[in-house]
Amino acid sequence: MSSSPSYGPRPWTFYVLAALFTLFVIFLYGPMIGVLILSFQGPSASLVFPLRDPSLMWFDELFNPRRTGDVVGAFYRSLPLAGIVMLLTVLVSVTAGFAFRRRFWGSTAIFYTAIASLIVPGLVLSIGILVTFRYLGQSASWYTSGLGAHLSWSLPFGLLIMFAVLGRLNPSYEEAAYDLGATKWQTVKEVVVPIVFPGMIAVALFGFTLSYDEFPRSWLTVGSKNTLPLEIWTMTTNVTSPALYALGTVTTVVSFIVIAIALSSIILIQRKRSS
Amino acid sequence: MNKTATKTESGEIRLVNVSKKFGPSYAVQNINLTIPHGSYCCLLGPSGCGKTTILRMIAGHETPSSGEIFIGDQMVVGKSPVERGTAMMFQSYALFPHLTILDNVAFYLKMRGVGRDERRQRAEEMLRRVQLHHLKDRMPAQLSGGQQQRVALARSLITNPRVLLLDEPLSALDEFLRLKMRGELKSLQHELGITFVHVTHTQPEAIALADMVVVMDTGRIDQADSAKEIFNSPRTPYVARFMGGQNVLTGTVSQISDKVVYIGHAGGGTFEATRTDMPAEQGKPISIAVRRDRIRLRRGSGASGVNQISGVVEATEYQGSFVKVTIDVGGDVFVANVSDADYFAEPVDRGDAVTAQWAAADVHLLSKLDTGAAGDPYANATH
Amino acid sequence: MASLPTADTQSSNKTSLLMTYLQVTPLTVVLTFFFLIPVALVVAVSFFRYQMLVGLVPDFVLTNYIDLIKNPTTWTLYLSTLKFTLIVLVITFVLGFWIAYFLVFHVRNLLVAIGLFLICTVPFWTSNIIRMISWRPVLGKEGLINSALLKAGAIDQPIEWLLYSDFSVVVAYVHLFTLFMIVPIFNSMARIDKSLLEAAVDAGASRWGVVWNVVLPLSKTGIALGALFVVTLVMGDFFVVTVMSGGLSGSATSGIFNDLQFLNYPRAAANAVILLIIVLLIAAAIFRVVDVRKELVR
Repeated sequence: MSSSPSYGPRPWTFYVLAALFTLFVIFLYGPMIGVLILSFQGPSASLVFPLRDPSLMWFDELFNPRRTGDVVGAFYRSLPLAGIVMLLTVLVSVTAGFAFRRRFWGSTAIFYTAIASLIVPGLVLSIGILVTFRYLGQSASWYTSGLGAHLSWSLPFGLLIMFAVLGRLNPSYEEAAYDLGATKWQTVKEVVVPIVFPGMIAVALFGFTLSYDEFPRSWLTVGSKNTLPLEIWTMTTNVTSPALYALGTVTTVVSFIVIAIALSSIILIQRKRSS
Repeated sequence: MNKTATKTESGEIRLVNVSKKFGPSYAVQNINLTIPHGSYCCLLGPSGCGKTTILRMIAGHETPSSGEIFIGDQMVVGKSPVERGTAMMFQSYALFPHLTILDNVAFYLKMRGVGRDERRQRAEEMLRRVQLHHLKDRMPAQLSGGQQQRVALARSLITNPRVLLLDEPLSALDEFLRLKMRGELKSLQHELGITFVHVTHTQPEAIALADMVVVMDTGRIDQADSAKEIFNSPRTPYVARFMGGQNVLTGTVSQISDKVVYIGHAGGGTFEATRTDMPAEQGKPISIAVRRDRIRLRRGSGASGVNQISGVVEATEYQGSFVKVTIDVGGDVFVANVSDADYFAEPVDRGDAVTAQWAAADVHLLSKLDTGAAGDPYANATH
Repeated sequence: MASLPTADTQSSNKTSLLMTYLQVTPLTVVLTFFFLIPVALVVAVSFFRYQMLVGLVPDFVLTNYIDLIKNPTTWTLYLSTLKFTLIVLVITFVLGFWIAYFLVFHVRNLLVAIGLFLICTVPFWTSNIIRMISWRPVLGKEGLINSALLKAGAIDQPIEWLLYSDFSVVVAYVHLFTLFMIVPIFNSMARIDKSLLEAAVDAGASRWGVVWNVVLPLSKTGIALGALFVVTLVMGDFFVVTVMSGGLSGSATSGIFNDLQFLNYPRAAANAVILLIIVLLIAAAIFRVVDVRKELVR
């Protein structure tokens, strides 16, 4: 009631900032849309505008690897890797999030370690993991060292989101469930998880996309077979055809599908709750 | 210091045909109200009635969709709060969490470019006035609710306003502090002699404080009058019910003269009321209000004669100095507040048949027909 | 996490404490094996000896560090990184602050504000490399900007410095990292009680006065958090600066990259340790200025 919106005339600053915001959105999306359009470039193979004789030939080239390397294989590595990272990120950061709701010896140390893991330069960690595996006598591969490298980056993010979600979780829900005779496990299953579920979807979204797009930490750690971002990186240096843009379009579309699924399910849950 | 010159001017507030729309719906509609200079005015009504919107329009935090607002002789719509000479005390107090108490109070002076030493000195003086000088270096979060409120008050008063606007200032305090602060606000207003506009949803607060009570119902003013008038002579069933202390009865005008109106009740009785400027017409339905504490009870049914009504006791509630007796009169609720001496002389209990009786002088004609207490959460409030 | 709300109503006995440690174990294991041990090994290797064709020779020598410090290239690269960090920090802060301000205080409908906020954050979940590459057809010699300017007759020759220059590096950084500023500042600002702004206006503060005296100080933690992200991301970046400068500019990590090409792990490790120390020092400085942890768990 006290902060009801004002419908008076908008101040001039509104228009200035609205213009700034619009420009920023164009700045943010414009180039991506450009790549999207150019991926339909015709046989002229020009890397710049204008678009001549739109065709799907570069998508075709992408999946029939005559020149462009192992794109399909990279997809088949990146997608399951992202799926595993997503799953582990949700499981590990949610359980850890619950642990952090109470005081325990070492909590501060673990928290700062997680933050440090988040901000450590990816290349530095990449070297470290590679050296570690070498000393363990293991060779690096995407499903061992690569997975770990991705988790070192996605888990702190997931943990921070869980802090925000659980910080808003009123303890009286759990107390009420306890009063009503629920066991600890029932309380978690029937009360806590449903309440924090939208937050868990957000963690899943971060887990998937951070892994799917991760580059610096993948660089030395995925071994001989490339994941998708590494494949793109290779292409930027040696492929000079719109196939590169076609690959960009395909990965972006995959990202957008994942984002759309995550956001719409969060919105659906919230709407169901508020109606 | 040219701007402060306006502050010595009149703090009379006039709202002329003020409406405020939020999207398609009206928060307040066609408000006309004059609050005299130097008065303590309470805007009273349930939440969502538009009282806060009016306050915020006077403060300049909302712009009216149409209409004019005057403070003194000045049309203030579109003016800044400082130009208006108003200061607002927010419900949440809105103390700046990143500034010390002293810097909070000195904020206005800083905005006006007053030098550091002078503004500190003046803010300290103000803090001494509200007896919080010893806390000047604390942060707001380190203060109790009551202390925070005094800081908010000091921060408002340092602007030397001609109008102080208070948005539910006592609602966040516990009962003891609320009563204490209530007294302090009243004496402060008396001492300063400026206009106070105070938004509240509690009737006793309004009656205890206000020179002028404005009772609001969904965007409209139902009655603006002195506290005594509002309480004794409500003009509408809504006001009568909202203020409590009244029974509302509806009947048909059976006989009318220059001085007296007789009303036939569906239950069979006849009520007599002094004729006032309220509209009354032979054969038309009309509602009346009867004060709960002017009612005498006797045992037995069988109402005979005017100004009587019979029913069955539904509940009794001991209130200290009086006993609240709720009577079921043919499906309607009728309440008599009987003094404890009278009650214990002849106690009645649940299920007893009783007849209530009152004098014609305690009956007031209402300007609108009662539409029942539906939707009025305060209908059964005890006072 | 002392400041977290505790919900252990079901007594804080030993079993539930054990439970807590069990809950935090997976995280600790991952962090140990994929962060603590690797970083510790990097530190260890930085004191090893490098031998052509042999590679790592365990030892304790300072030659790697001395090599680096004596090498003027190291200094140039670090200065270049610092320069980029500062420029990007300033631009992303200005953009992030005003965009968050617009969303929180100027957009009146909450749903619209959330929608616009999501528009700003969606690119975060898409590939950084693609977003970086997407500047090529825009900034290139035959790119959109140059051809538009040529057509308009504003220039006779394509502008060369649009792509493969410090300019394009900064553009890409701003493009990639501004939302790391927007999100935490937005979060801080959204928590500011609107009546604080009105109270400031009541006290005669101008529009700018409100921003300077109320909004800015109360968004401090968000700004610090955003700065932490931007600083660490730019300092640790190798790929943006390489691709977008066309190899003309370097960063602190370029040195590491070069050493790795020659399998000189000890010197790469020493360089990594130096970089790590600088990043951690900056992070520590930011944590000192504001209690970021309090902000994170609130």
